[in-house]
Amino acid sequence: MPRASTDTIAELRAPIYDLVRQYVRSYRQCRYADVRVEIGEGKVASVENGMDKQSSEDYGFAFGVRVIAGDKATAPGYFGQTLGSADLPNLPKVLRAGLDHAYHRAIANAQRKSASRERFGPLGDALTDAALTPIDVQEATVSAHYQRDPREVPLQEVMDYVREVSRTASAVADGVVYNYVYGGTMLNRQLFCSSEGANIDQTSALSEGMAYIVAQGNEGVQELYDFIGHQRGWEVVTGGVDEDYFQLPNLMTFSTSLARDTVDLSNARACPMTDKEVVVVTDPHYNALVAHEVVGHPTELDRAMKYETGYAGRSWLFRDIEETQIGKQIGSPLVSAYSDPTMNGFGYYQYDDEGTPARRTPLIENGVFQGFMNSRQTAAIVNAPPNGHYKATDASLVPLIRMSNTFLSGGESDPQRIIRDVEHGYYVVGHRIPSIAESRENFRITAMKVYEIRNGEIGELYRNGGIMSDTRDYFMSIDAVGSDFRLFSIPNCGKGQPMQTKRMGNGGPTMRGRARLSGAS
Amino acid sequence: MIPTSQLRKAAEDALAFLRTQDDIEEAEAFVASNGQMLCRLNYTSHIPSNGLEEPKSTESYGIGLRVVLNTPEGHKASFGSEGSDISLEGVREALAKARNGAVLDPEFTTLPRATGERRTLSNYHDPMLMRANDDGLVEAGWQVIDGSLRTYMSSEDLLAAAEGGDLRKLGLIVSGDVTILQERIAVASYAMPRVQMDESSLIMSFITSMVERRDAKGSGYGAAQRLAELAPYDAGRDAAEGAIRQMDGVRVGDGEYKIIFGPQAFMDILSNLIVPGLNLGLFYAASSPFQGKLGQQIASEKLNIYDDGAAPGLVASKGITCEGLPTGRTELIRNGALVGLMANWYESQRILRDPKGREKLGVDPDEYALAMVPRNGFRFGTGGGRLYDRDPGISGTNIVVEGDGRSLEELAREVSEGLYVGRLWYTYPVNGLQAGDFTCTVIGDSYLIKDGRLAEPVKPNTIRINDNINNILQNVIGIGNSRRPALIWAADEVVHTPEVVVSGVHVQAIAGYMEQL
Repeated sequence: MPRASTDTIAELRAPIYDLVRQYVRSYRQCRYADVRVEIGEGKVASVENGMDKQSSEDYGFAFGVRVIAGDKATAPGYFGQTLGSADLPNLPKVLRAGLDHAYHRAIANAQRKSASRERFGPLGDALTDAALTPIDVQEATVSAHYQRDPREVPLQEVMDYVREVSRTASAVADGVVYNYVYGGTMLNRQLFCSSEGANIDQTSALSEGMAYIVAQGNEGVQELYDFIGHQRGWEVVTGGVDEDYFQLPNLMTFSTSLARDTVDLSNARACPMTDKEVVVVTDPHYNALVAHEVVGHPTELDRAMKYETGYAGRSWLFRDIEETQIGKQIGSPLVSAYSDPTMNGFGYYQYDDEGTPARRTPLIENGVFQGFMNSRQTAAIVNAPPNGHYKATDASLVPLIRMSNTFLSGGESDPQRIIRDVEHGYYVVGHRIPSIAESRENFRITAMKVYEIRNGEIGELYRNGGIMSDTRDYFMSIDAVGSDFRLFSIPNCGKGQPMQTKRMGNGGPTMRGRARLSGAS
Repeated sequence: MIPTSQLRKAAEDALAFLRTQDDIEEAEAFVASNGQMLCRLNYTSHIPSNGLEEPKSTESYGIGLRVVLNTPEGHKASFGSEGSDISLEGVREALAKARNGAVLDPEFTTLPRATGERRTLSNYHDPMLMRANDDGLVEAGWQVIDGSLRTYMSSEDLLAAAEGGDLRKLGLIVSGDVTILQERIAVASYAMPRVQMDESSLIMSFITSMVERRDAKGSGYGAAQRLAELAPYDAGRDAAEGAIRQMDGVRVGDGEYKIIFGPQAFMDILSNLIVPGLNLGLFYAASSPFQGKLGQQIASEKLNIYDDGAAPGLVASKGITCEGLPTGRTELIRNGALVGLMANWYESQRILRDPKGREKLGVDPDEYALAMVPRNGFRFGTGGGRLYDRDPGISGTNIVVEGDGRSLEELAREVSEGLYVGRLWYTYPVNGLQAGDFTCTVIGDSYLIKDGRLAEPVKPNTIRINDNINNILQNVIGIGNSRRPALIWAADEVVHTPEVVVSGVHVQAIAGYMEQL
């Protein structure tokens, strides 16, 4: 029996391209179809307290289909399926069956849409035909970047390294009472073919590590977890990353450092909670989560257009097509933000999941809101050019508008000077856990560490602190932006129904503003 | 979906094949076929939309093996799986992966053994749901939209609020989904060689509707094991009616409030803050907010919570776990005391041998073994499904909060002055689960309570709760009687809870600038 591997995609490319092109021609009411097929090969290992728990070498194989069809009205239909090597001999038949399901759903959906337009009078007017903004249709092959091919790294090597990291983290101090360490490396290859003629074969490497540490100290139990990752080979986990704005320690240094921080925090006092705004200096790692939660999410156009009202929420930046914050000042002139899939980072790609070439998208420039990340369908509704942010976690799932490398951009201030200029305030270091208001108009995000700043000097370390603020007020208060921009890897962004958990890049520089300090309740 | 007869035969054949392998000490074969059909809605009266945005589905089937291998280094435990192939060829592939990934886990004891409990739930699935088709899926989604839009069109309050009678300008939104889960499993092992089958189905709908120009949001939801027991139209109608009631809400100031948490809001608290802390695995990792408190008072005496995966008619019930063990009722909190924890086989055995087990639980694990019976070992996927390609974790099923027979009106009279909170958002343990600190915002279905009655609606997204879960549990002062299944986004379990009243909840006013936009 043939085995599915990333190399299989090359063999599937021509027949799938032909299938999609011919499928649309075979049904009069079929307006558009696309197929995504994805195969990944990877190795993972996990260890608790230095004891082996899991190791695995396996592949993933899935496909997803979108069809737009209809007569009096047009509407979409979708289908997705997880596959295995056993499906390879019959793959054209399996894909065809998937297309048929999606087509039938689209037709039934279009008929019901048409009937509802009539049934609901003026309220039915909003039910418009499904349409995609035209794009420059591409045929392309994109290669992965790595030094060590994930397929060639022995599973035992992954296991041995992760075990050693966990044992070393356990030995950092007596206060470490629990640790979990994970490491993995994989190669993913995705084929996108559309009835318009798109034929895009993209391969990416991905390697990552995670540590979760629990420590017991004089002030109680403290837990921290964090993550490293890059679209490279296993070398980034064992050797770290040292690129321009993207620097990561190796998993050993990273995990032991996290263990030391956790122990220190277990002996630190709880952070005070203030009822008034104070001066806060936030570091690049903390601002990566600010960029994610408070900049990235509300600038996803599907969310802004209410698609996520029942789940991940809406956006305060968009009331309707005529009433948005585009062109308005929502932050100080020092605040700028972008989403750029073409940058090296965890959110890198060349084409999104509907074949749109990726491009840098301005979100905020000099404090003025610029616009949204979008898909072809949402771009058509707001009459904007598609900017390539339509991505799925897995080929069997329907894509959503997603961040790529999405960040607050760097400024010109010396980060040390930003702290030295503070008479009294707090230095907020490392992101932890967010809780954001539904339309992202307010946030509370906790930090790994909070230090008091007195007369420009770093002082007492506090645990369980963070900041909370109304979004616009916080961005308007920013009075210094550092030159130390850095990009980080975010492993677990949840969105959609069923929830899709996605990896991406987020980042920022050191920033200074005003917010309420949050502490222990 | 793969027929049950094929799944059964695959499990039998797999077990027979595994027994021929000299290096295998014991093994378990888990064969599963899953379907998830889902229609996701997005109707917006003020923005062009598809109405039914995503009629879609995902399918998978395959076999997962857990094996214990005799090796020169000792007994190694491992897992391997193969998708889309439950023939012997698929078994061989899965076994090869298991051998390749085997690890020497010193805390591993054995694969699951019979617990002495008996299965009580069989043949409870709905064949109609198992046969759901494309047309039915699409129709279910449009019925929700019908329910919402007809409600809006017939509302005199809404017509009066609309400029020139044009409802479109009010910004009407219908969002959410109707989901159908279809699950079939077969499991057999050396220790429990008789193939056990389980077939479960579920339909649920979780709808949010808004009159956005009036900052009004309402929810409609339901979940049932049988198609005939859930009407998508009603969920759409309920959400729209809730939104109409919420129009022109008021802001609330900072302070400490007595709050009646509605079923969905209390589910948010349970699913994000309490249920995770009742997972035995978190006690091993010293990460539960109830660390060292088994047998101790952790909540008001009024609070009684249990997990029941075998309750007939409750939507999250299953016949057996994904380890082939009977599901059943696990008492978790009784009269405010922590009396039990949710477990799978691995964790139930590990804690008995953990040198720090007494410290972690607060009691001798051997004496409390019956408080940690492995009735919760499931291989749930995100959004449902019992997946062949993963080890069993620990998941809740039906989390039930017992009522004490008081109506909402009685609860409101007791509160006198306070808040009714119907829906929370982003309820997260922001300083880590163990610390218990949490925060969330109030996003809809909420009211002021004045003079012992529900009064004006609370404007969504204008207050944040900052508190600690231990305060919430200790300060429960009343529980209602109208228990119903509640759903939240991406939770494994279904919570069946009445309203719960808590005193002294810390509330902060937020986002005042939105009034000036």
